[in-house]
This record gives sequence, C-alpha cells and structure tokens, in this order.
Amino acid sequence: MADTLVPTAPSFLREKVLLGMSPREYVRSVVTPFNVAAALILAVGLPVLFLRFTKGLGAVTNLSQSAPWGLWIGFDMMTGIVLAAGGFTIGATVQIFGLERYHAIERPAILTAFLGYVMAVCGLLADLGRPWNIVQAIFHYGTASVLFEVAWCVMCYSAVLFFEFTIPFLEWLGYRRMVRPLRKALIALTVLSVIFSTMHQSALGSLFLIMPTKLHPLWYSPYIFVLFFVSAVIAGICMVIVESTVSHKVFASQLHGQPVDVEALTLGLGKAGALVTFAYFFLKLQGVVDGHAWHHLATGWGAWFGVEVVGFVLVPSLLFAWGARNRSVRAVRVAALLGILGIVLNRLNVSVVALNWQAPHRYVPSWMEVMVSVTLVTIGVLAFRWIVNRMPILRQAPAQDGAEGSRP
Amino acid sequence: MTYDLLSVYPAKLLEYGLAIGYLLLFIPFWRYLEGGRPAPARAPRRAAAAVGQAGHRGWFRLPAGLHVHPGHTWARLDGDGLVTVGLDDFASKLLGPLAVKVPAVGVPVAQGEAALEASDGRRSVRLAAPVEGTVVEVNDGAGAAHADPYGAGWLFRVRAPRLGSNLRQLLSGSAALRLLEDASEELARRMNPELGVVLQDGGAPVSGIARTLAGDGWDTLARGFFLT
Repeated sequence: MADTLVPTAPSFLREKVLLGMSPREYVRSVVTPFNVAAALILAVGLPVLFLRFTKGLGAVTNLSQSAPWGLWIGFDMMTGIVLAAGGFTIGATVQIFGLERYHAIERPAILTAFLGYVMAVCGLLADLGRPWNIVQAIFHYGTASVLFEVAWCVMCYSAVLFFEFTIPFLEWLGYRRMVRPLRKALIALTVLSVIFSTMHQSALGSLFLIMPTKLHPLWYSPYIFVLFFVSAVIAGICMVIVESTVSHKVFASQLHGQPVDVEALTLGLGKAGALVTFAYFFLKLQGVVDGHAWHHLATGWGAWFGVEVVGFVLVPSLLFAWGARNRSVRAVRVAALLGILGIVLNRLNVSVVALNWQAPHRYVPSWMEVMVSVTLVTIGVLAFRWIVNRMPILRQAPAQDGAEGSRP
Repeated sequence: MTYDLLSVYPAKLLEYGLAIGYLLLFIPFWRYLEGGRPAPARAPRRAAAAVGQAGHRGWFRLPAGLHVHPGHTWARLDGDGLVTVGLDDFASKLLGPLAVKVPAVGVPVAQGEAALEASDGRRSVRLAAPVEGTVVEVNDGAGAAHADPYGAGWLFRVRAPRLGSNLRQLLSGSAALRLLEDASEELARRMNPELGVVLQDGGAPVSGIARTLAGDGWDTLARGFFLT
C-alpha cells in the first residue's frame, strides 16, 4: 500500500525536454507550418555556412578589398548587437533604478540579449577571414585599437549575459541551491552588463572614427559613438515592447494567473521611448550641422537620410508620445516597430550603404550572404522558443520552499 | 569640405540654435507627454457583481463576484465605480489576528506592489494591492479583517482609473478557487511533507497558521505566499 503513495520519478527527458510527451507525440507536435518553413531555411542556410568555412569568403560573398564590410557586419553584427540592447536597458531599469514593475519582462529581455549576442558572434565568425585568430585578442593587447575594445566588450558582456541566463537554466534543472548565490550576484551582474554594453555599443560607433572620408558626411560625426549608444537605448526599449507583445501572445498559456499587466508596461516604455527618440532626433541634426554637411541634404543621399531621421526617428517619437498620452497601446507598439526598423536602417546605412559612398562599384550582398543572415535569425528565434517553452522565462519558477520567490 | 574661419560662425550659430531649439521644444513636448488625462475607467462588460454565495475550495472559502490577486488580496467592484480591497480567507487565516496597516487616503497604490503591512510588533510582512488607483476611503473597522475578511473586514477603497486592464490580471470564479486550493495543498505539504493531503485531514486549519508552522519565521513563510 505504501508503494502506491510514492510517485514514480518523472523521466528527465520526458518532463524537461519533451514537454511531458512521448518521443512519438513530441515529433508529431513539432510538425507545424512555422517549423517546416524554418527547416527549409536551415536546409539551405547551413550548407551555405559549411561552404563558407570550407571554401572561404570568396565562394559565398560579394565582399572585396574595396568593400570588406558587408551584410554580415552591417546586419548580423551591428544590428544584432544593437537589438540585443534590451537586456541592459531593462536590467538597469529594474535592478539599478528600482522600477520593480518591469521585472516581469526582465528575463525575456536578458534571454533576447544573450541569444542576440551569440548569433552576432556566429555572424562575426563567418565574416572573419581567419576566424580562428579571434582568440588572439585575449593574448595580445592592442590597446590603441578600437577593435580591441570591441573584442573585449563582446567577450565580457557575453559572459555576463551567460551568467544572467544561468539562473533560469539552473531553476529549470532544479538546482535551486546553486541559484541562490547567482541571484544575490544579480545586481553586480547588472552593473557589469550596463558597463560592458555601454562600452560595446559606443565602441562599435567608434570604429567609424577612423574612416571619416569613407563614411558619408550625413552619417559621419565625431560624436558617432554617442549616437550609437543613444540609439542602442532606443533599440532596447523598442525591442522589449515588441518582444513582450509577441511573447505574451504566443506563450499566453504560460502566463495564466500571473499578475503581469503588459499593457501598462508598454505604455511606460512608450513614454521613455518618446523622450529618448526625441533627443536622438536632435542629436542626429546636430551631427549634420557639426559636420557642415547640410548642403548634402538637397541630394539623393539627403533624401535617404531624411527617410531615416524623419520617418523612423521623429515619427516614432511623436507616435510614442501620442500613444503614451492617450493610453493607446497599439500606437506605442506601432511606434516601437518603426523604431526597430529605423535602428536597423541606421546600422545598415552606416556600415554598408553610406560607407564607401564615392566608390565606383557598389557592394550588393549575394543571395548566400542573405541566406546566412536569415538562417542565423531563424536559429535565434527557434532557440528562444525552445527555451521559453521549457525554462522559467515568462512564468515563475515553481517554488519548492515557499519562502523563496523566483527573482531572476 | 572647407573649415575656414568664416564658415565656422554660421555652423556654430546653427549648433547653438539647434540646442536651444531642442530645449525650447522639449518643454511643450514634456508637457504634452505628461498632460494626458488618466484613461476613463474601462468598466468591465459585466456589471459589478454583488458578493454572492461563498464557494469552498480546500480549507478556504471565497464568495462569488470577487477578483483575487495571486498575492491573496481581493478587489470588489462597487456600484459607485469604486473598488473595495481586502484580504482573502487564506491570508486572513495565515496571518491570524495581526494588525494590518493600510495606506492613507490620497495615497496611490499600484497593482502587484506592496500596499498593506501586517505586523506582530516585531516582524512584518507586506501584501500587494490587487488594483492600481488612489485610496479614497479607509475602513476604521479593519480590525475585523481576521474575523470577517469579505465583509466588515474590508480594508480600503480606491478609485481605479485602469480597472478593465487591472481586472484582466486578477483571478475570479473557478480560477480564484483554484488559487485557494493550491494554497491549501501547499500548506498540507508543509504540515506533512511526505503525504500531502490525506483523507484523515478533516476540519479547518487553526488561525495564525504561519506562526504555528514557522514560529518566529512566520514572516518569511507568509512572504512566499504573498509574492512580496
């Protein structure tokens, strides 16, 4: 009789990995239109990546000596890193500024940042001619090089994000004793993440300080590192709004009964977004004035600059303000989407479109470069979904001792 | 591009003009952003439900028509558009006859953030407000929260500008009863970690369960249940 009272120990594979299903049920459950599309992308993209590492950059890219930076730097690295800024933005908001109500969206933001950095590093490895030499930055200190700062910031911030992500990972495995010291160290990790990401975001901008003649004057500014940092804060706010909106729709079942008012958080973030984008708009104009570049505004480049600065900075700023004032969550979400597109456009403009703007031959990415970028994004999305479905990212970790909440 | 002496002056003039323009425009921008009136109370589609027959789940009861926060406070919509707030039966029995400190009239409270404080004089534990709003009335008879948590023991009333949105985060009906049932099971596990609830467990638990189970560590135990 006593035997019947003792529950059978659940299988780790079945409970933790297969979501409580048998292997056959699980395989059946993953056959969805989204997964089929993702599988097709990977089926094309992964062989292209293999080709790049076996045959070299020339076999798959349109890069050349005159156009050494292409889509993988402009999109995978520059854009991937800036869109990962939600981690430090929300981390600082909760842990340093004490706005506890944003705690509910902190873990998804940190996970997005972590995956964003991992994918950016993958893109960087694909882009480097000799990727195995990346470790040289650890052993040789070229302190006069901006790339040295970039490399160290990537390494340090990725490590910090890994430790931050370790908390839900260990909770998932049930190692709660190991989680406690990490939780206590979280505020220190957040401080480190703000320091490293601030340095990293601005250092990526500083890379362009050594190429004032190559970058179009409308985008070049001696203060470009400030513009990069401020726009990273905008990207962080916008990404968190969009990501939390999508997550709370796609993973609604995990949120049942939890006191998370996403709409209130969205409106609060919208107000912050309005203020930062408003300031950023004027900083962009200041960059033009400071660089004596206003005569370029009447050219085709000026029109393109206007599209970026008015269409994707000023318009989102006003839309954020209108939405926050009138409590229109939809307007704030549309503004956030425009804001993300604006930041993507800015990074592509700075690192690809407006770079080498006077060169006789313009760089256009090959289909294989596009495919690798799409593949990396797809892997990031699949990893995010896999983790959120299993680990306590959106939901609270089940309390085992009751006296302990589940702080990140 | 020439940076001769003459071109520096108009450039500097533009830079300073732009900076001043930004500051001048920032003032109306900020006022516009901050000046939004609070959204009108989005009344829930269903009418304010009167407190109906009590339902039981586990050891604790819950009247119909209440909206319960997972931190074990409840909100009831009143006919005059205000919201009454109190402790649920679980919180009441867990704490026992402790003094509960309520926010003063005019104080804003936020959903899910600490607004109440129960104390035995040495240790205290905070409880979350179930809705966002401004306190407009405080119950002088809040001492009855232990004896009659859903009636005379209500704690305070608030004007809730974002009621519709707030209510979506609260539990009602069977989901609220399920919360109490889960709390009962959790308590049972603590009383008898190996067996949980068994048939021999009859009757209702004593008042002041937290102190009975955890002694001086009652506040730590309660904090886990109240999510604060």
